[in-house]
Amino acid sequence: MVIRVRILGGPTREVGYREGMKVIDVLRSIGVMSSEYVVVKNGRIVAEDEPIEDGDELVLYPVVSGG
Amino acid sequence: MAKCSLCGRPAIYISRISGVALCEKHFLEYFDRKVRRTIRKYKLFKPKDHIAVAVSGGKDSLSLLHYLHKLSRRVPGWKITALLVDEGIRGYREYTVKRLEKVASELGVDYVVVRFKDELGFTLDKIVKIALERGLPYKPCTFCGVFRRYLLNKKAREIGAAVIATGHNLDDIIQTYMMNIIDNDWTKIARLGPVSGPAHHPRFVRKVKPFYEVLEKETTIYAILNGFYEGFEECPYARFGVRWTVRKMLNQLEEQYPGVKYSILQSLLTAIDMLNKLGIGEGEVETCAICGEPSAHPVCRACMLKIELGILELSPEKLAQLPPSARKMIESSLKLYERRNAQNKQTNKTSRGVDEAASF
Repeated sequence: MVIRVRILGGPTREVGYREGMKVIDVLRSIGVMSSEYVVVKNGRIVAEDEPIEDGDELVLYPVVSGG
Repeated sequence: MAKCSLCGRPAIYISRISGVALCEKHFLEYFDRKVRRTIRKYKLFKPKDHIAVAVSGGKDSLSLLHYLHKLSRRVPGWKITALLVDEGIRGYREYTVKRLEKVASELGVDYVVVRFKDELGFTLDKIVKIALERGLPYKPCTFCGVFRRYLLNKKAREIGAAVIATGHNLDDIIQTYMMNIIDNDWTKIARLGPVSGPAHHPRFVRKVKPFYEVLEKETTIYAILNGFYEGFEECPYARFGVRWTVRKMLNQLEEQYPGVKYSILQSLLTAIDMLNKLGIGEGEVETCAICGEPSAHPVCRACMLKIELGILELSPEKLAQLPPSARKMIESSLKLYERRNAQNKQTNKTSRGVDEAASF
């Protein structure tokens, strides 16, 4: 019952799944802002209100430049 | 799940200000419209321009290279060359250089790599070390920014480019605006427009920012959709700068009050307009008495930093040949260095004394 969240260039985190969860809830539960990451689910960019299913894997692309 | 406001397909982006949701196709159209509007509004390019795209190998500059290359198919007079400055930051720059090589060869774009080591004799890593040893009060980003701008201008001119396009986006611009407010530096603020720099110097290459009105989140989506956001490397010096804190603060504000970033950009444009009317930021462009490059002062910032670092030494004869204003700048900088050095030695002596006292 977990969602795996891989941050590009950073750690992989796990978030407990809850019924009716959306991408924005996952971001909030790991303490990051939606303006700081673009979220990719199953190879597709998704908006913040995208529903999450149990076992989903998200990849977070940092919006911030590296330099 | 949000649907595209235009076609009903799954949305990948929702504007937090207008509430408009866009699918992949309509996002790319929106992005293209936005950038073309900036190019037109501020007359960034001419029909026969040789454009040097300043590329770091990061997602923003690669997005710009990709975008301008695509647009150049519709403007047959344009020539595009990617220009990368390799500062020599171990564990960071080598990856981004590789990324540029890959993207440039895929696109069929010419590229030139300019290295600090070749042009200045030292990598940035070494320069930071020398600065620490000499007790200079500058952060790594100061050396990086000054020398990078200096080399970009010099190399772009050497390859015959008419204009340098940089990947600065809305977020970068407003962060710099805030940082200059903190420094109370209105001359620098006056130069933060989409076209920057002293245009009337024979050695100066005009700089333009086509992504001036595009949010960093939008350039990130563009990079992912076009398949060249493959990895993320952070500059090891990035977190030493004030920019890091300012960026966080602005993101928090935007999260709470959507639209704040656009408002700050509007505030900047108003400030630039007012400053121009007051004649601030349009100061006379001088020629550096040492290297001959365009400069805001009798000696350019790059030469001054080289002198402070001790990597450029001027003989008393050479110093005597310089115009009085340039000589004065160098002499007062050297005096300041000596004073600072004496203070540092005194501080070290005092702290050693305190340590010794504490050990009793």
